[in-house]
Formats: sequence, structure tokens, C-alpha cells
Amino acid sequence: MTQSRIDATQTRPPLWRNVTFLKWATQIGVLVGLVVLAWILISTALRNLEAQGLSLDWDFLTDPVGIRLGEGIFTQPASGLEAFATAIVNMLRVTASGIIAATILGVLVGISRLSSNWLLSRSATAFVETIRNIPLLIQIVFWFFLMTLFFPTLEVDASGPAPGWLIVSRKGVSIPWLFPTEVFWQWFVFVAGGAWAARRVYRRRIELLEETGRETHPGRWALGTFVLIAGLGWFAHPIAGALGWLFALVAAVIAAIPDFAFQLLFAAVSIWLGARWIRRFLDSRRTPAGLARLTDDDYFRMGLAGVLGLAGAAVFVAIPQITSLITDVAHFVFAFLDQKFDFLRTGVPLRLGRPEVVVPGRFPQIGDTGMTMTPNFFGLWVGVTLYTAAFIAEIVRGGILAVPKGQTEAGMALGLKRSQVLRMIILPQAFRIILPPMGNQYLNLAKNTSLGIAIAYAELVQVGQTLFNQTGDTIQVFLIWMAFYLTVSLVLSSIVNWYNRRVKLVER
Amino acid sequence: MTVYVAPELKPPEPPPEARQLGAWVWLRKNLFNTWYNGVLTVVLAVGIVWGARGAFAFLLSPDRLWGVIPPNATNYAVDVYPRPELTRIWVTLAVVMVLVGLSSATWRPTGKTSWGTILAVVRATGVAAFAVGLLVPPTFVGRNPLLVGGAVLVLLGAVGIRAAGPAAREERLPMLGVLAGVLVLALVVIWLLPVAKTTKVPWTIEVLVLAAAHLVGRPLVRAVGEKTLKVVLSFLWVLSLPVIYLHLERKPVIPWEVVVSWLPWVLPVLVVGYLAILYASRAGRERAAALNALLVVAALAVWFVPSPMVVRLLMLVLVGFTLAAPTFASSGNGRRNFMVGWSGATFFLVYFVTLAVAETGLETQGDFLGGLNLTFLLALGGMLLSFPIGIMMALGRTSTMPIFRLLSTGYIEIVRGVPLITVLFFADKVVPRFLPPGLDFDGVVKAIIAIALFSGAYLAENVRGGLQSIPKGQYEAARALGMTTAQMTMLITLPQALRAVIPAIVGQVISLFKDTSLVAIIGLADFFRVARDIVPNQPASLGSQIENLVMAAVVYWIFTFSFSRASLRLERKLGVGTR
Amino acid sequence: MADNGKRDIIICEDVKKWFGDFQALRGISTRVYEQEVVVIIGPSGSGKSTWIRCINRLEVHQEGRIIVDGIELTSDVRNIEQIRSEVGMVFQQFNLFPHLTVMQNITLAQTWVRKRTKAEAEEKAMALLERVGIPEQAHKFPGQLSGGQQQRVAIARSLAMDPKIMLFDEPTSALDPEMIKEVLDVMKELAQSGMTMLVVTHEMGFAREVADRVIFMDQGQIVEEGTPEHFFTNPQHDRTKLFLSQIL
Repeated sequence: MTQSRIDATQTRPPLWRNVTFLKWATQIGVLVGLVVLAWILISTALRNLEAQGLSLDWDFLTDPVGIRLGEGIFTQPASGLEAFATAIVNMLRVTASGIIAATILGVLVGISRLSSNWLLSRSATAFVETIRNIPLLIQIVFWFFLMTLFFPTLEVDASGPAPGWLIVSRKGVSIPWLFPTEVFWQWFVFVAGGAWAARRVYRRRIELLEETGRETHPGRWALGTFVLIAGLGWFAHPIAGALGWLFALVAAVIAAIPDFAFQLLFAAVSIWLGARWIRRFLDSRRTPAGLARLTDDDYFRMGLAGVLGLAGAAVFVAIPQITSLITDVAHFVFAFLDQKFDFLRTGVPLRLGRPEVVVPGRFPQIGDTGMTMTPNFFGLWVGVTLYTAAFIAEIVRGGILAVPKGQTEAGMALGLKRSQVLRMIILPQAFRIILPPMGNQYLNLAKNTSLGIAIAYAELVQVGQTLFNQTGDTIQVFLIWMAFYLTVSLVLSSIVNWYNRRVKLVER
Repeated sequence: MTVYVAPELKPPEPPPEARQLGAWVWLRKNLFNTWYNGVLTVVLAVGIVWGARGAFAFLLSPDRLWGVIPPNATNYAVDVYPRPELTRIWVTLAVVMVLVGLSSATWRPTGKTSWGTILAVVRATGVAAFAVGLLVPPTFVGRNPLLVGGAVLVLLGAVGIRAAGPAAREERLPMLGVLAGVLVLALVVIWLLPVAKTTKVPWTIEVLVLAAAHLVGRPLVRAVGEKTLKVVLSFLWVLSLPVIYLHLERKPVIPWEVVVSWLPWVLPVLVVGYLAILYASRAGRERAAALNALLVVAALAVWFVPSPMVVRLLMLVLVGFTLAAPTFASSGNGRRNFMVGWSGATFFLVYFVTLAVAETGLETQGDFLGGLNLTFLLALGGMLLSFPIGIMMALGRTSTMPIFRLLSTGYIEIVRGVPLITVLFFADKVVPRFLPPGLDFDGVVKAIIAIALFSGAYLAENVRGGLQSIPKGQYEAARALGMTTAQMTMLITLPQALRAVIPAIVGQVISLFKDTSLVAIIGLADFFRVARDIVPNQPASLGSQIENLVMAAVVYWIFTFSFSRASLRLERKLGVGTR
Repeated sequence: MADNGKRDIIICEDVKKWFGDFQALRGISTRVYEQEVVVIIGPSGSGKSTWIRCINRLEVHQEGRIIVDGIELTSDVRNIEQIRSEVGMVFQQFNLFPHLTVMQNITLAQTWVRKRTKAEAEEKAMALLERVGIPEQAHKFPGQLSGGQQQRVAIARSLAMDPKIMLFDEPTSALDPEMIKEVLDVMKELAQSGMTMLVVTHEMGFAREVADRVIFMDQGQIVEEGTPEHFFTNPQHDRTKLFLSQIL
């Protein structure tokens, strides 16, 4: 090779032909365009708001509001914050009970679709095809109307099938329920401890079974442990009340430390997180031969992490309200826990409440002594449960079918029974395939609870709409919606991802 | 050790199962093969019979107001759309029919079926009808027709299968022919039943238009060539939506003086466009890039100087053309296509902006769009618009440019993290706050955009899955042939990615169709809202909520179920979706 | 009784099997005596795999009789389970359970079918892993092993059940050339230890060296069977000659 050729390849290209420069020029150009656009839009919005006598403040969260909610912890909220708290609790109630019910039903239907019994598999198919192909909104409204229009009317002397124990009416279904009393949380410490101990015992008995080969009844032992500790706690719970001192101490410490110390702490944590990310990133690029050549993309990532860390720190220092909000919440939580625990406070942890009909005005209502399911909750809950169950059923079926046929054959060739093959070989593998899409369905269920607005169930979107119809603060309400749903998505998907990583098959 | 040598090879024998399985062997094999399955079967059968009887007793009770449904048929279809102008809707439908007919002639679905399958469907329908007849309350007037009709169908199917023998299993009937047969049958039925003339005449015409378009399409394919026709039809499909919405479903009162006032602006831009494309496609890469940079600045600048909206939009389109020109228009053929494309784009943009600024001449109170008509418009519009969004975001998320990746990932994850209803509220209530006073879009347009923005994020994830499923060798081969990134994406990877995820995309379209019902919450009168609020609140049909809801559920179910069955066929034909 | 005085352990009489209209087995009749090593060769689609899969009822034959170790294969569940625990099978695609470690793969069926204690099962598993030459891999997952190692684990898994008969369904077809030898070595050692083996394979070297008998199948039937010397020096049937000329 001649000298001149080598020179030719070593000359730096002019800037307008440099790939890296062009790439970044395009990106920064687009970014600047977007920032300008956002600036125009925001200034327009501020002018519009001013013209209409509105502002971008958050006063509606603390100001008194004159709205009434259908159900929940505050049916007549004193402030926007209380209204949103109620809405969130209501939303989480439907989500949690919906996820449990949809999982059970969906798994049953999914397995039924693969049954060798023609009638069962066809019924399951019919269920899935019917539910999946009708808009969820119609289903929710249908169940709501079914209860409000066609259930029996509420009578004062509700005789019904089990007088005093069950009310079934257009205004809701009410059943007896065990309600926690003021000493419940003291007892709950024992329940949680019992569950933990039962888990330990269960594992120990399994180990024993594997070592000796004798039947050791791990399930019965675990149950016995749990019942023993929880039963003991029923009477011994006043001892756990001592925890109250601990919580009071923590609350006092939080209150004693000045806010600026927390501000500095959070700022430091923010910078530390950014730095840790950069360090880990560099570690991952380190090869035995030394640090790998970093691309401009890598520098961008590290730069972004650094900037985000610093920006977080700056936000914590510049806006003390954020820090005080966090410390206030923490102080509130510990002060609240302190109230729930009191050394040697006695009583029964659970109290039985039976449904009853009351007549506050001219018309009979269901009293709040039992556990009542309103038509709004019923419509939303049944709707999202059936809808999600149909999708879960398809996922379960697909997951089982996705396990290669050779796995069944190998199990059978070893002499395992069909049920053993299913339980020990097929299901554990199918579970790993099912998990990520199942997580997606849980997320969909959580988001679909927003359709409760169609039947006036007091969840976040419905309450938000009621609020902005009153105050005109649409932008703020929309930001609250977004923050909440994104948090729920983030939490649910991190749980699923964490679990998925734990059970993932080990590959080369 | 003995050695065995077969004297000669034995011929294959027919399988022993060729002997027909008796009905009761089937029962034993499928319902009573073990004791617990037997118990399960009995319990289930009792449960199903009990549940079905209860449901039918509820649905067919004399208290139900099924009578309110037929008189409201027009309301379900179009809501308050002015009745004297209904011809516009029929013309709209005819346009779609023409496109469907031409498309079916061009793409020629090749599915085949057999007499055996059709007869089995007939027999199964008969069994179902007979079973329903047994389960309905004895007082129901339709009971005897169901029993008799069911029995006749069962007999027809069974005798047909027996008579056809093994020939019944041959798959020789084209699906298209079967579909045509079903349509003719449906026409015969509506002419036999006491259906209003204003319904059956237009529907007959629509079907005839469909058939005519299909018949015209066949020689057209031969004359024009399949490939050209496919491209043209794809464009027509995309254009059909704005044409239908802006031109047919409103009564545009075109402000000619405004249009004329644009001309001194539009004509120079058109000429500048020709020259720019010519230069960009001929000059070297760097010079073209310099020209593009100038044009981008100019396109942004016109937004800040007073000029007609149409010019601002035209400049943006021109930038798109010149950016692509050096890569795709460097050959003579490509250059010609770009010139034609730029002329067409100018024409259609002026045409659409003209219509968009035109007032509607329809005399109604409030929104004139509603019913099933609106539902389909939302679904079609949302789908068409979500494709560019989804593809752009997918490309952004898989791009090597970190800022684009960050922006697309942020968009996708945020939109997928929130419910559709909040996006609809965003478009309906929040967006107007960010626009200059006086500039607000129609509720339908806002809903279409919101649905497209939402669906686009999900579509992007599907397309990304497709892009990631393409073997690395494809990228390397394209690079080795000297393609630029844009060429590689447009010609090699994106087409493969889209083909690989067709089933997922169809699933997304189905769920988009169901999701259009949410617009009822922000106050649009779509089919669901007509059935839920508008009809049951008429004085004549008070208290018919459940009847209306069941009717709506059945209608949605029929459409969704047929989509999903069609997509299943498509999936099998393409042999994809088994990733 | 076979002509050398050993007991017949597998008896097939006119076994027929259809997949839909296609007849996969057109009447297989043969006997396998104890400790015999039978290699089955033939073109693809000739019914080799179908036949040996019928022997532990992974496929169900529709006509004829199959008797394994004195037990006839019928739809009687107890017979099937008994035969499956006496007949080991090694698959082309290994079919190790990816969610269990190598050790768990080998001990699973021992504890649940043979009802051994964990200690016994693990001891047995370690002994077998030593025998197939990979004791150090015991606590890895199948996904971390090479193909040859996976197949050896699969052989150990089958042997752990103390089978009287081992079926091999193209055990080396999915392996890279350099891994074939390690699996064949294990199989040779097994044959020398006196295991009854039915092996479907394309490895003619293995057939020539180890087999007591070679069976050539085509179109769902046995075309020719005899000793390896007979086969590789003096094949009789035209189809056999054609097949051997194509692959040797």
C-alpha cells in the first residue's frame, strides 16, 4: 500500500460530511424545534388561562370543594386532596379484587379450553369469544343496569333468603363482614409474623422430606404454625402495642430534623444515583482487555444520567416544597401508625358487622354495618373481571400450548403420570411464558377501571372530571391522572419484571 | 443370525377409521371417557340448560321492549343526520363498496372451502336453532318456527353431506363465491321480509355496486397491471377517509374567494418545489443537504410571517419530498414519480384545506355525525392515522440516534401507561387550552386524533417487535449492497417487519374498533351512545336500556367476531404469527 | 425364545399405524431378544421413529400386537405406566426440562415414579453423570450445556430409571460433528454393558461396530434385516442397495 493512500484515509472529513456531526445536528435541530413548539404552546396556554381568569396553581387541592362522591372513605370530601384520595382508594379496590378474581377465573377457563371434555372446552371457548368481542364499556353498563333495574327493590323488612345476613337489592348487595377494630394492627403484627414463620416451617419440612424420604406433611405443619401464632396473637396483641413507642420516636425524629437537611440529603441521593448509573454503565463496558471504545451514543447516555442526577439535585434544592411534602407524608405515616399501637391496649381485633336496612329519609337505604357492594362497584368489577379473564384464558392456553411437545413425551417416557407431567413439567414452563403478558393484562385491568366514569363509579377519572367541571383546572387534573396511572404502570411492571428475572430460564 | 429379505413392498391400506364413527362412540370418547368427565358433563349440561332457560326467559319475557329497536334503525345508523340528506350517506357507502369491489378483484383472496364445511355449518346452525327452540319459554311466538326451521336445516345439512359423499371434503369452492352467495341470500331475505322500501332499495343498489366494481376490476387488472392498481388502490383507500368526511358527509359551502386568494401563493411554491426536487435529485449529497437545510428554515419561517395556512403546510410537504429526493429520486423514473407526487400532493392539500375551511350547509342542531356511521368513521380514521405514528415511533425507538430514541420511548411508554379515556379528555379539554383562541377542531376530528395517538403507541410496539425479529443478516446484506439507512429501512427491513406482525396489527385494529365506544363519554353520539342514552330517553322507548344494550352488544360482536375470524384465515395463509 | 437361547423381550406382530389417511406402518413383525443391540436405518419418512415411539406408546398403534417384557401394550393405563418405567427413551431434540437443573432432571422421575429418597436419587444421578463423563455439570441448567452434554444428560436421565430396554430416536442428528463422538462413546459403552437397545440412527460406523442386527425400513415396513456384515458387504434387496449406495 502506498503512503498517499494511507494519508487519504486519515484525513478528517469536512464537518458537513462527518456522520457523527450530521447525526447530532439533526437530533439537536429537531429537539430545538420541539422546545420552541412547546414554548409557544405553553405561552399560549398561559395567555388563554389569564383571559379566562384561571391559573395554573394547585389551590383546588386544598380549597373546600362542594362535591359528593358515590362511595369511599370520604363521601363528602372537604378538599380536592380528600376527593382524590377517595378516588384512588376506590380505584385500587376494584383493581385488586378484579385482578384476583380475573386470575382465578381466567386460569380455570384457559385450562378448560384444553380439556378433553368436549362440552367443557366448547363452553370455555364460547365464554372467551363472547366476552372478548364486545366492547368493555357495553359490558360494564350492562351489569350496572342489570342490578339497578332488575334486582329486587329494597324493603325495610328485608326478609330475603337469609334475613339479617344477606341483602340483595337494586341499591346493592350487602353481606356480613369482619371489620378491623382499633387494636387490629397490633394483632396484624402477629398475623404477618405467623405467615413468615409458617413459610420457614414449610421449607424446613420439605427439606426433611427430601432428606429422609418420609412423608412430613409440610402443608399441615405450616398451617398449624400460622394458626398457632395468629391465635396466640388474638390474646397477646397488647404486647405488640409497644411498637407504638418506636413509631412515635421515628415520627419525632423526622419532625426534629430541619427540612434543609432533608433537602441536602435528597439532592445528594439524586447525584449519587446518577453517579452509580454511570459507574455501572462503565463497568458493563469493561472487557478483560480494558475499557471498550465508547460510542457517541454511550457518551450521550452517561451525560444524560449525569444531567438528570444534577437536575434532580437542583430541583430538590430550589423547590423546598417537594422535600417538605415527602417529609410531611413520612411524618404522617409514622404518626398514624403510632395511633394504631398502644402498649397494653386491649380488645378484640375483629368485629362482626351484619347488614341492615336503615331509613334516613323517606326511602330505605342499606346501612353501613355490613360489607356492601354498590351497583356501580358491581358493574365495574364484574365487567373488568370477566373481560380480563377472557384475555387471561387465552394467554394461559397459549402458554400451555407453547411448551414443546417433546417435553410431554420425555416426561411420559420416564413413566410420569399425565397429571405429574402437567404439574411438574408443563405448568412451571408455561408459567414463565405466561408471566409477561399476564402482567400486561393486569395493567390493562387497572387502566380499564377508568371506564367506571360511564356508570358514575367514584374513581380517579370520574372524580377528576367532576372537579375540573367545577374549577376549570383541566391541565392540573390531567397531570394528576397521568402521574397516578404512570405510577401504577411503573409499580406493576417492575413487580412483573422483577419476578420474571427471578424465574427466567438459565441459558448460555 | 437369520437374514430376512422382504419379498416385495406392501401397498398402503386404507385406515381402519374409514368406518364411520357412531354418534354414541363420539359421546363416549368426548364426554364420558373417564368417570369424572362424565360427572362434569352432566353437571355442566344441567348448568347450561338452567342458565340458558333463565337467560331466554329474561330476554324473551313479554316485559321486554324489543319493539323499540326496528323503528329506531335509522337513529342507530346515523343519529341526528338530517334525513333529507341521507343520500350522502348512501353515496359514501357506495364509494367504499367500489373500493372494496376493486380491491377484491385486485388482491383476489384465494381461500377455498368445501361443500362439506358449508353443509356442516348449515347443520350446526340447525342444531343450535333447535336447541334454542327447546330452551325458550313455551309462550314465545318464535318457538315453533325455531324448532321446525332448525329441524329442516339439520336434515338439509345431514342429507347433503350423505349425498355428496367423499366429494364433500374437496376444497374447491372459492370463498369469494360463497360470500357472494351469502350476500344474494341476504338480499332475497330482505325483499321477502316486510322491510321498508327506503332500506331495501338502497341496500340492493349498494350490493349491485359492489358486484359491478368487482366485475369491472377484473379486466381493469389485466389492462392496467396488478402492481400499479395495487398502489393506486392503496392511495385511494388512504384518501377515501378525508374525501368521505370533508366532502360527502357534510355539505361543504366552498368560499371560492378565499381559495382564489391563495393562488398567487400556491403557484410559486409549486414551481419552486419542482425546481427544488430536480436540484436535490441531481446535485451531489452535500449540495442537496445544503438546499434541504435552507428549505427547512424557510418552512419554519413561514409559520412566523403572515401567510395562508395552506402555504405553511405545503412547505412542510415539500421538505419531506426534497429530503427523500437524493435517496429515492436519483434515477429518471424515480424523479418522474416524485414530480407527479409533488403535483398530486399540492392538488390534494389545496383541495382538502379548501374543504376543511368550508362551512357545512347541513341544517342540524349540534353535531351532525353519529351512530354506526360515526363509529366506522372513527375506527377507519384512527386506524389510518395511527399507522404513520406507529411506524415513526417504532423507527425512532429502534434508531441509533439517542435523542430520537428517548423521545419515542417516552411517547410510547407514557401513552401506553394511561387509559384511553384520559387521552380523549386530553384532546377534548386540555388541547384547546394550548391553541390560540378561536382555533379549535371539531369534536370528531379531535376524537380521531386522540384514538390515533393512543393506538399508534401500541402499534409502534408491534412494529418494533417485527423490526427486532428480522435476522441481523438482512441488515448486513442491505449494508453490503451499499444502501443508505433510509433505503434499507424503506425497502428491506420495514416491509418485512410489517408483514411479520400483521396478526398483531389486526388484533390492534379490532381493539381500536371496540375502543371507539369510549367517545360516548366525551359526548360524541357514536353507535354506543345512541343505544345507551339517546334511544332509551325518547318518550316512546323509555325503560328500554337493557334491550338497547343487548342489541348494541350483538352488533359489535358480529363485526368484531368476523374481523377476528378473517384475521385468523389471513394468519394461516401467511403462515406467520407463530413467533 | 430366540435361536441363541435368549428370551424375547420385544415382540411386534403385524403392527399398523395411520396418520389420517397416511399409513405410517404397514405391518411390522419382528422380535428383539434380551441384550440385543438393534440398529434401524432407512430413508426419512420410512416409519423408523414412529415404530420405536409405538414401543413405549408415545404413538398408539391401531392394529397388530406389541408385547414388551411379557406385557402387552393395550389402552390399560397400568400396563402403559409399567412399560414406560422399564423402557428408557432418548430423543433427537434431547427434551431436557429447561426449568430444572441437570441434577433435578435426573432425580425427578426417580423420586416420583421409582419412589426413591432424595439421597438415593442423587447418589444414583452422580454415579450416572460420572459414567457419561460430566459430573461437574450437575448443578447447571440444561440451557448452559452444549448439545453433546445435553444428550449425555438425557441418556443419564433415562438410565436412572434402571430400564431394561433403551430406545434411541436419532440421538446424534441434532448435534455438531465434534459432539457426535462423545454421545456415541457413551452408547457403545452402554451396549457393551449388556443393555437391550433399539437405535434409529444414520451413523453407519456405529451400526457396523456395535449392532447385533441391522434393520432397514422403507415405506413403513421392514425391507431387510441381518447382521452388520451381511448389510455392509452383501445387501440383497434393491432398495437396500440403493439406500446404502447413497449414504456410504
